[in-house]
Amino acid sequence: MLPRAEIAHWLFAAGFLFFALVLLAEAIVGPDVFRRRPWRAYLWPSLLLFGGVWLWVIAIYSTFSTLHLLAHALWAQAAIAAGVVQLAVVRGRLVAPAWSLVTAAGLFVSGISFLVHEQNGWLFARSAFLHHLIGWTLVVAVLFPLGAALRPRWSVWAYGFAVTWIAVSVMLFSDRDVAPIFGHLSELAGRAPVP
Amino acid sequence: MRRAVATLLLASLVAPASGWAHATLTRAEPAEQGRLEAPPTEIRLVYDQSVTAPPDAIVVLAKDGARVSDAVTQAERGTVIRASVTGLVRGEAYTVRWREVSADGHLGTGVYTFGVGVDAPPPTEAVGASGMTWRDDVARWALFASLALLVGVVGIRLLVLPRTVDPRVERRVHLLGTLGAVAAVNAGIIGFVIRSANALQVSGVDLLYADLSPFAESTRFGTAFLVTTLGFGVCMTILGVAWVLDRPGLRWPAFLLAVALVWSYPLSGHQATEPNASILGQVADWVHLVTAMLWVGGVLTLAVVVWPLAPDLRRAAFLRFSRIAIGLVGVMVVAGTVVAIERLPAVADLWETSYGRTLLVKIALVLVALAWGGIHHTFVRPRLERGERPRGVRGSLLGESIVAITVLLVAAVLVNGSPPPVETGGSEAAPAASP
Repeated sequence: MLPRAEIAHWLFAAGFLFFALVLLAEAIVGPDVFRRRPWRAYLWPSLLLFGGVWLWVIAIYSTFSTLHLLAHALWAQAAIAAGVVQLAVVRGRLVAPAWSLVTAAGLFVSGISFLVHEQNGWLFARSAFLHHLIGWTLVVAVLFPLGAALRPRWSVWAYGFAVTWIAVSVMLFSDRDVAPIFGHLSELAGRAPVP
Repeated sequence: MRRAVATLLLASLVAPASGWAHATLTRAEPAEQGRLEAPPTEIRLVYDQSVTAPPDAIVVLAKDGARVSDAVTQAERGTVIRASVTGLVRGEAYTVRWREVSADGHLGTGVYTFGVGVDAPPPTEAVGASGMTWRDDVARWALFASLALLVGVVGIRLLVLPRTVDPRVERRVHLLGTLGAVAAVNAGIIGFVIRSANALQVSGVDLLYADLSPFAESTRFGTAFLVTTLGFGVCMTILGVAWVLDRPGLRWPAFLLAVALVWSYPLSGHQATEPNASILGQVADWVHLVTAMLWVGGVLTLAVVVWPLAPDLRRAAFLRFSRIAIGLVGVMVVAGTVVAIERLPAVADLWETSYGRTLLVKIALVLVALAWGGIHHTFVRPRLERGERPRGVRGSLLGESIVAITVLLVAAVLVNGSPPPVETGGSEAAPAASP
């Protein structure tokens, strides 16, 4: 039996929130302090990698449309690639700040995957609105790793990246399968559950 | 002007589009792949959103292609489409082909089967489904080539090359192995979509909105697709972590997992679905695949990793691979013979059926590759043992690799082909469980 889509979204929301808090902690205290315990440096790249593997689970349960299957598979690969590269950066195998561009590409692919696989318009229902919003948030957030590649010393990129994931997490926690948005629910959107 | 265009673009992103919607089938009665004891009088499809029903929104077909469904009606605010059916009989299976036009104008499509007093055939055998096409062969070939990198190159690194090697060799093995895992997962997805499209009979945008779940949930190849997609995704991750942490030993779990995943192909192919399928045939098919991948991967490793990057390693790598290659090829040939005998019990099937003729082409190509390997064994090996550095070996190894990869193409055609029907000792042949 398949779980409801909103259950999967909430699970990922919890994961993203933890991920975001780790990033925020590092941004606030600075990498030097944060990495006094070496394992902490591996924390967020490992979470990214783990999230990518979990996305494979979502991908194989998304066969109800070819588009969903392809979007989630692409997203899973983007997350795994970004996670592996960031782990390699932390480990010292890759040193150039330009490797941050892989995370930028991963974010872009993730955003596009969100936008492409949402088949409904913005105000169709709450989940549709949030999919569009998350998609565009991720696309705009490409600026942060891009900035980190070009101006590695500016801490604003780290803050921006962390806040992006907090926003994504909040949006995913707000998701419901059939629920109105701003009081509006499309006539075509099926029947909302009785409160 | 630019500003106006930018403003328009931004405005288009936030414009409400409440009438733009795409629906998904949430429930079907009779159920997909269901078995009923009495003929139904109606087909009922429930969608998660309102849809428009075209005249052919539900078409129910008998085995002979005759339509047994009447005109459709809609209910529940357009979320339910119904069609009455007449003339269904016990002991027959039926195909339901459905279409809906969502509010966004996209055409959603799907196909499923149900049986009345009999088990329903898999959706790949729905009425109107086409057989395998060249696209299936190319996808299967890509899958085999990916496995040659993942199982073959990584396996040969672990089994043949010394524990410590030049870092450049290590890097290239990591690169090829990871590339193999990424390619395997994507070739699997593409192959699954192509095979589903054959049964759905749609392409382009319509295929993007097609429902593939009956194929994933009710067929052996769907189950294999789910398991291998997840498994190769894990392999990809393990290989990435092994590279990052510089822990070559971590490649063992990725290699062993990939070898185990190869098992899913015999379990979803002819070796499991033909009436005379046996455990021995499945094991033989698995062994045949794994040894073939190791053999192809070994030749590739020598040609594109050892020869160009590690001159000092050439002698040891060639001699060690040469020793295990004899065993690999022996096991591969014996296992392949067991599979061939099970699929083609009569010798005449070899030239009288297209499956047999394809097998003959494959055997001929394998003989070319083995002869090539034999030349290496006879002429190159003694010179390397004497400490000489013979020229032209890399080119020759690349040539053998190309022949081996061509063998994989013919193997892909063979796997997708239909073997001749098999007599099952007088009893009525059972339909293929789920190809």
